[in-house]
Amino acid sequence: MNDAGLNMTTPPKMRDLAHRLLAYEAVEGKTSELEEAATLRVYEKLRQSLGEFVGATGFQSLAFRALTQAKSEAPGLWAVQIAADGSLQGLGEFEPQLVEFEPQLGSGKDQASEGGVVLIARLLGLLLIFLGGTLTLRLVQSAWPGAAFDDCNSEIRRKA
Amino acid sequence: MNTEDRVAINKLPTGVPGLDEIVGGGLPEFSFNIIAGAPGSGKTTLAHQFVFANATPERPALYFTVLGESSIKMLRYQQQYTFFDSAKLPNSIRFINLSQVVLEKDLGAVLEQITKEIEKSNPAVVVVDSFRTMVRKPQSDLDLQSFIQRLALFLASWQATTFLIGEYAEDELRDNPIFTVADGLFWLRQTPERNSIVRKLQIIKLRGQDSVPGLHTFRITDAGVQAFSRTFGLTGHLKDPPSHRRLCFGIPELDKMLGGGVREGDSVLVAGSSGTGKSVLATQFIAEGIRKGEPGIVAVFEERPQAYAERATTLGLDLETPQKDGKLKILYLRPLDLSVDETMHSILDAVQRIGAKRLVIDSLAGFEMALSPGFRADFRESLYRMIFALTGIGVTILSTVEVDESFTEFPFSTYSISFLTDDIIRLRYVSIDGQLRKIMVVIKMRGGNHAKDIREYEITDKGVVILGKRLSDYQGLISGIPVRSNRPDSTEVPSQDTGIKSKT
Repeated sequence: MNDAGLNMTTPPKMRDLAHRLLAYEAVEGKTSELEEAATLRVYEKLRQSLGEFVGATGFQSLAFRALTQAKSEAPGLWAVQIAADGSLQGLGEFEPQLVEFEPQLGSGKDQASEGGVVLIARLLGLLLIFLGGTLTLRLVQSAWPGAAFDDCNSEIRRKA
Repeated sequence: MNTEDRVAINKLPTGVPGLDEIVGGGLPEFSFNIIAGAPGSGKTTLAHQFVFANATPERPALYFTVLGESSIKMLRYQQQYTFFDSAKLPNSIRFINLSQVVLEKDLGAVLEQITKEIEKSNPAVVVVDSFRTMVRKPQSDLDLQSFIQRLALFLASWQATTFLIGEYAEDELRDNPIFTVADGLFWLRQTPERNSIVRKLQIIKLRGQDSVPGLHTFRITDAGVQAFSRTFGLTGHLKDPPSHRRLCFGIPELDKMLGGGVREGDSVLVAGSSGTGKSVLATQFIAEGIRKGEPGIVAVFEERPQAYAERATTLGLDLETPQKDGKLKILYLRPLDLSVDETMHSILDAVQRIGAKRLVIDSLAGFEMALSPGFRADFRESLYRMIFALTGIGVTILSTVEVDESFTEFPFSTYSISFLTDDIIRLRYVSIDGQLRKIMVVIKMRGGNHAKDIREYEITDKGVVILGKRLSDYQGLISGIPVRSNRPDSTEVPSQDTGIKSKT
């Protein structure tokens, strides 16, 4: 049974793809940018690409579901919200208490990085559940036309 | 106007098996079409098939979704169909959601958004699904009419073939500006008939194209929509010239009674009550054909192909080997909601695949039972179309039909279809000398001579075997309760219409 949607952890494949997308965007952006900037850029590209396909409301619903799932896995996302137009708000706001009293969660930077990965992975995971691997990869490809994706598991390369 | 001066309208493949034939060879390029019907009637699937069949990276398809089914769920379900090619997304097929514009703005803004996307992509195909949800918002008739007109003109100018998909009820067909503007109007229906669902498709209009009128049945399978033309896909097929060849049963006495066998391309009816050997005779007819190098098809409805072949083995007839060799196809057709057109499609497909010359339909009663109740009412008419189409391509058909045994009548069929058949062989029980014996008589042979003899036969381990002489010493044989006439027996030579006199 495919219970990926009910699992409390992100599907490893999607987590890996999210990592690679964030890494791709981090290189595309300026090195001085904060971790959350890469997450925002990945999210925005997905929002633009998926928004055309499912509509703003459709995307907002998906993103809200993904965020709800992600929050249970990454407490660093506690302040993040999805706006009515589907945009992401509150990324980069860390709960100071968590950083202070639960050092195992890492620094604010670590939390941002982990939270970004989990959120993107959850969003991709929902697509995987609804559309399957092939279509999900095609949608991701259309959002990153400059990148070459061989499959969900391989590294993302820049097209020559 | 000179033919050469006329504009040639390209015909695009519909991507729906059987539909090209119905629309007259393909869908006119740049046409503005509406697919209408109730929810669940297959509108979206049909549009998807067209899109997947025609979209290319150079001339993509734009699929606008509005307020109906969510795009994600639509793709979730549509990708289950075999025609769905993920590789076409998103370069050849783009899905664009317009729900926000529709909800927040007016039809002018919707048109503007569609226009913008079309100018950007230069699509060959445009679909708006569901168009109906867009025009349900309160607006004046003038707005709507103007919107439709402008959309149709714009899409035609951009050389796009367009489908608007909408949920419409039949009574909305009249006085609707959308239908007036449309070049093509495809109406899909699904109606419950007793416990079956019957799907029918009608091309209400299609400008510039000679489409096949009437209601055509269709089915939705894992391959998508499949349409079954009322003309069985044989439009334009020239009827084969009549053949003078005779096809034997391999039962010498019966073949003699038939003047050498049935004429190639004839429709033969073998009628009799239960247990009289109709299926045995049919099996012998097919087996003899295979023995002579004539591939055959048996359409069975009352038993499975394996059982049919095993029963043939008990008669010393091997139907397994020819099946393996591609000389015989036993079709088992019993879904209980078939249409004749669909059955015909299966048969024609098999005929073309193995080059069949002989076809057995065993039996018409089973065939009728396999049909959806709604189609049973048209069974006679459907049989007429089917027999005409199959014999037209030179296939010789032998159908079996069970008739109720009566001692006051001698019916040929329960369907009043004897006029559809060229030849009729009647089997029946008679009570003779305290035994229930079997007799056979050739009732009619259109365009050929046949014996008038009433012959007794038995079913043995070699199949139907006609016993020695014609039964000339009985009167009232066809009543089933003959009376001995005390006249001497006849010779073994069957009498013919052509003056061969029987010994009386």
